[in-house]
Amino acid sequence: MRQRLRDPMTGLLFVLPMLVLFLVFRFVPILGAGGMSLTDLNLGGEWNFVGVGNYARLLDDPKFWDSLRITLVYVAIYVPLTVLVALGTALLLNAVVFLRGLFRGMLFLPYVTSFVLAGVIWRWIYEFDGMINGLLGKLDLGPVGFLEEASLVLPALAVVSVWKGFGYSMLILLAGLKAIPASYLEAATVDGAGPWQRFRRITLPLLKPALFFVVVIETINAFQTFDTIYVMTGGGPARASYTLIYGLYDQGFKFSNLGYAATIGVVLFALVFVVSLIQRRLLDRGNA
Amino acid sequence: MTLTATRPAAAAVRPPVKARRRSFRWPLWVLLALVSVITVSPFAVMFVVALSPPGSPTLPAQWPESLSLDTIVNLLSSSGFVGWTVNTVIYALVSVVIILLTASMAGYAFAKKRFPGRDTMMWAFLATLMVPFQATLIPMFVLISELGGVDTFWGLIVPTLANSQAVFLMRQFILDLPDELFEAAKVDGASEWRVYWQIVIPLTKPILATLGVFVFLWHWNDFLWPLVMSQSDEMRTLTVGLASMRTEGSPLAVLMASAALSVLPCLLVFAVLQRYLVNSIAMTGLK
Repeated sequence: MRQRLRDPMTGLLFVLPMLVLFLVFRFVPILGAGGMSLTDLNLGGEWNFVGVGNYARLLDDPKFWDSLRITLVYVAIYVPLTVLVALGTALLLNAVVFLRGLFRGMLFLPYVTSFVLAGVIWRWIYEFDGMINGLLGKLDLGPVGFLEEASLVLPALAVVSVWKGFGYSMLILLAGLKAIPASYLEAATVDGAGPWQRFRRITLPLLKPALFFVVVIETINAFQTFDTIYVMTGGGPARASYTLIYGLYDQGFKFSNLGYAATIGVVLFALVFVVSLIQRRLLDRGNA
Repeated sequence: MTLTATRPAAAAVRPPVKARRRSFRWPLWVLLALVSVITVSPFAVMFVVALSPPGSPTLPAQWPESLSLDTIVNLLSSSGFVGWTVNTVIYALVSVVIILLTASMAGYAFAKKRFPGRDTMMWAFLATLMVPFQATLIPMFVLISELGGVDTFWGLIVPTLANSQAVFLMRQFILDLPDELFEAAKVDGASEWRVYWQIVIPLTKPILATLGVFVFLWHWNDFLWPLVMSQSDEMRTLTVGLASMRTEGSPLAVLMASAALSVLPCLLVFAVLQRYLVNSIAMTGLK
């Protein structure tokens, strides 16, 4: 009897600290985001209930549609790029034996640093008197305004995020590659399959779960990109890198429209949610 | 599949297959080396600029004539930079200790205990992973400012402690520990707290170490939350300070020296624990 009573209590006691943290600092803010998006709360603390007013205002705001388009373009540049780089380097690492550990370390190195650091270094690399233009100058080329031209700024930012973050996806894919039995590939070779055919028919299908995971994770990461934009462009030039998150930050902490900023947060959540559902659906169908 | 049927044949012709593979691998090696140089060279450039004597011509136009520690020494004697570093150390280390403690306790309960609402709670924890942190940034900020926590250490630290990945990692690891261990301890009359300290903690050391390193790196590199929490210069962390130096237009050498110093702990952790970090990501998908 005593034993039976003791167990449930201790279980609850052991979860309690984390449970309190979760209730107060995860669940309350999540519910709060929904509630706040229905108000016109400002930094002064004054608020009125405005119903779906913020959402209507958002849909009416050309700047919102602009930032949504910019965010989607960024996702469309970043995700394929980072997945390709991660897959390519994972395949290379898997094929190469000599100094493999050293290479893996060098490729993964940027991952342990911050996006702010990446932004600070790359800002200078991209600048007019920075490294790339310095090298281009020696070849009598350039200068190129990577962060000054609207058409270049999103790819330039994507490159920084890929450089900083692809190591994680690379390791996930490398683990996926290692799980493919070598005998499959050897058998295919004997059957006369070339490297491309082996990749298409064996490696790629078997790597699909890992690839799916990586695509979803990287898409969610791309929607959340903030640090590099804050450090490198401030949303410019001429709002060309003004993503949803950047708008959320500005509305909340620059213009003090907390209710409106919370609405952008809800939209961001909905977007991330819908995109992961679509990806799941597409990849499931591909599997069948 | 027909592929497995041909396995013996594959074994028989193994030597030629291997020989052919090796012959076309050196271009791959060169390609890999090139990509590795690209990932590492920004750090190298950062260190060169950080070590360039103040005011002298330097990269990208020309290689500095000499290297000096002047900028770095100046920085280490400036109270601003030192303060940011202290804040970051406090932010990262306090978070590591509390997360390891609370997550291992919760992980133990979820893995080995039965109590009402356990599975619901677990799913609720897991579901929060789907909500991006930025989506809750504004309510979180309002909550902390209502509680008077803006520009304080607790306001900075406490909201980051509800870490579901940590809980689930601990749970998975503790699930694999044999139940007999806990039953034997109970038969011997050990209190629950004692079981936790003398069985759970020692046996989960490897995963605690892994998690500790990752939580340290996440907090050391965190930006958005410290940015909105630090209203005064005194509360800035290194990332926030670095970003403010960039936007306020500090001289390049000073900026790069700060960047270099701020990343040193990460590089150190990485250099010492490389193999271990890499393996744990591959195994657990730790983000």
